[in-house]
Amino acid sequence: MKILFLLFLLFNIAYAGDATIEVIKKVDSLPTLAIEDSSISYDNTFKLRFFKSLVADLNVISLFNVDRHHRVVAYNDSSVLVSNKDMEYVLRYKIFEDDNGAMNIQMKLLQGDSEVFSKNYRVSKKDIYMFVSHAIAYDINEYMGAKPVSWMKKKVIFAKVIAPKKSEIIIADYTLTYQHIIIQGGFNLFPKWANQSQTAFYYTSLDNDKPTLKYVDIKTASVKSIISSDGMMICSDVSNDGNHLLLTMAKDGQPDIYLYDVKKHTYKRETTYSGIDVGGQFMNKDIIAFVSSRLGYPTIFTKNLLTNEINQVVYYGNSNVACSASGHYIVYKARESSNAFSQNTFNLHLVSTQTDLIRRLTATGVNEFPKFSKDGDAIIFVKNYKGQSSIGIIRLNFNKNYLFPIKSGRIQSMDW
Amino acid sequence: MKNIVLSGVVAALLVFSGCSSKGPAVDTKAANNNPVEEVASTATQEVQPVETETVSSENSLVNSSTSESTMNSIESKLPTVYFAFDKYNITPAMQEKIDASAELGKKVGSNYKVKLEGNCDEWGSDEYNFALGLRRANAVKKALVADGIDASRISMVSYGKSNPVCTAHTKECWAKNRRVNFKLLP
Repeated sequence: MKILFLLFLLFNIAYAGDATIEVIKKVDSLPTLAIEDSSISYDNTFKLRFFKSLVADLNVISLFNVDRHHRVVAYNDSSVLVSNKDMEYVLRYKIFEDDNGAMNIQMKLLQGDSEVFSKNYRVSKKDIYMFVSHAIAYDINEYMGAKPVSWMKKKVIFAKVIAPKKSEIIIADYTLTYQHIIIQGGFNLFPKWANQSQTAFYYTSLDNDKPTLKYVDIKTASVKSIISSDGMMICSDVSNDGNHLLLTMAKDGQPDIYLYDVKKHTYKRETTYSGIDVGGQFMNKDIIAFVSSRLGYPTIFTKNLLTNEINQVVYYGNSNVACSASGHYIVYKARESSNAFSQNTFNLHLVSTQTDLIRRLTATGVNEFPKFSKDGDAIIFVKNYKGQSSIGIIRLNFNKNYLFPIKSGRIQSMDW
Repeated sequence: MKNIVLSGVVAALLVFSGCSSKGPAVDTKAANNNPVEEVASTATQEVQPVETETVSSENSLVNSSTSESTMNSIESKLPTVYFAFDKYNITPAMQEKIDASAELGKKVGSNYKVKLEGNCDEWGSDEYNFALGLRRANAVKKALVADGIDASRISMVSYGKSNPVCTAHTKECWAKNRRVNFKLLP
């Protein structure tokens, strides 16, 4: 019996050891990639900025160990630089300005000294260089046969409070490097994309007598009022087909979740608890996740819209006040400390409604505004740590987080 | 394969016309900046007029300086109601302030409506905080109604943590932001 137990123990230790080794091997086994710059236009500051953007994007696709050295070479050199001879892949690009002032980029991927993939890009001005960087990473990812990273091309819309009762709504790329203020003036919050093609969005206007949900068509710049409610009015989520909204409204001062039919202009109250129910998120067309204080503290529940069955899905965390759902997965924000006035840590956690999976996704700081990409492949969030705010991207399948520092301002709400 | 990518940059600075200074301006300039993988001549979007929203005209009687100064004078006497962390119940000290406000509302302020603005400190997500701010405003509304103020004279709004009176990251500052303000309306 003792021998059997010893064998069992040894097996366990061996198994645990293998798992650790396997993780290390997996990191090492990623192919190496170096980047060679052949640019002939623009100053060195801009060239380096583009290079860094490309390094970041190629890291985010999680397929390569990307070399961070900036090396310069002529675009048509027949072989890679000597210092890159050991690299499995070399990405070489050339930026040049044409007669129209547009920025052109030639790019080729080399394996050894052989060109295996190439593509040219052009944008009308260099200020939007980051979209080219994202496009190159997207194309390289596609060439490598990995699952598409369509979210890399999606735009982020967010609200920023610039003074009490004054805000801006801004459209950005997924790293928030590019930012364009689309609504300026007034007190407008909680923007949400109205469709998957991101040609329109909803937002809450607090400039009217009652909080009002508005709809903006970006192409025509038309704005129309959708629905108002005394107290509060927030569009928490938009269904994949864009036909239904989950609203938090407060008829008679009672915040509850309502399902709004965009075509019929009708709504149905989905929660009736006398405390706080907010933040409805579609898991699929029949099940929603939401935040409720019905246990005396805020945490995450689901509701089946067909059967009206309500289930608690999160049991960990003192105060779970925000979530995002994709299929049967929910990412939620949890306050880790129970002291209201200590240096609070808010971490993101992932749970499944079908298994007992619970996985902590962040470790330090205040992590908030988690939002799944539409395909569920990545989560975007905001990290505030030591006075610095960053946009975070979590690649769930690769178990990796990437951070992009935000230059200024605190985000009020965000959609992807 | 050599596709040329063209930006879908459009340039159209579109602003509201006829709105008050508080009205938002929508600027779709460069809103579609994703590189597009097609060769095409540079697209220029036609500048289209923005739908002008109807802004309700303000009542000229109410806007008279006398009426406005009276309203401001009464409003300055109305208190700020403060709350504990993550709570929306009225403490006895705050109840006294609300009772005094109700008396004002029944006498010199009887011609005005009141908007209760619920606010929160910086902790918690904004949507949950908005609901918390609203519950605070609703708690004050119920107390005012219990004191004899007609519910139809009271409206509510929540600003969550987006309307702070204090921005330092201190316990005292957070306490100042967990509040309900009274705003008189004509």
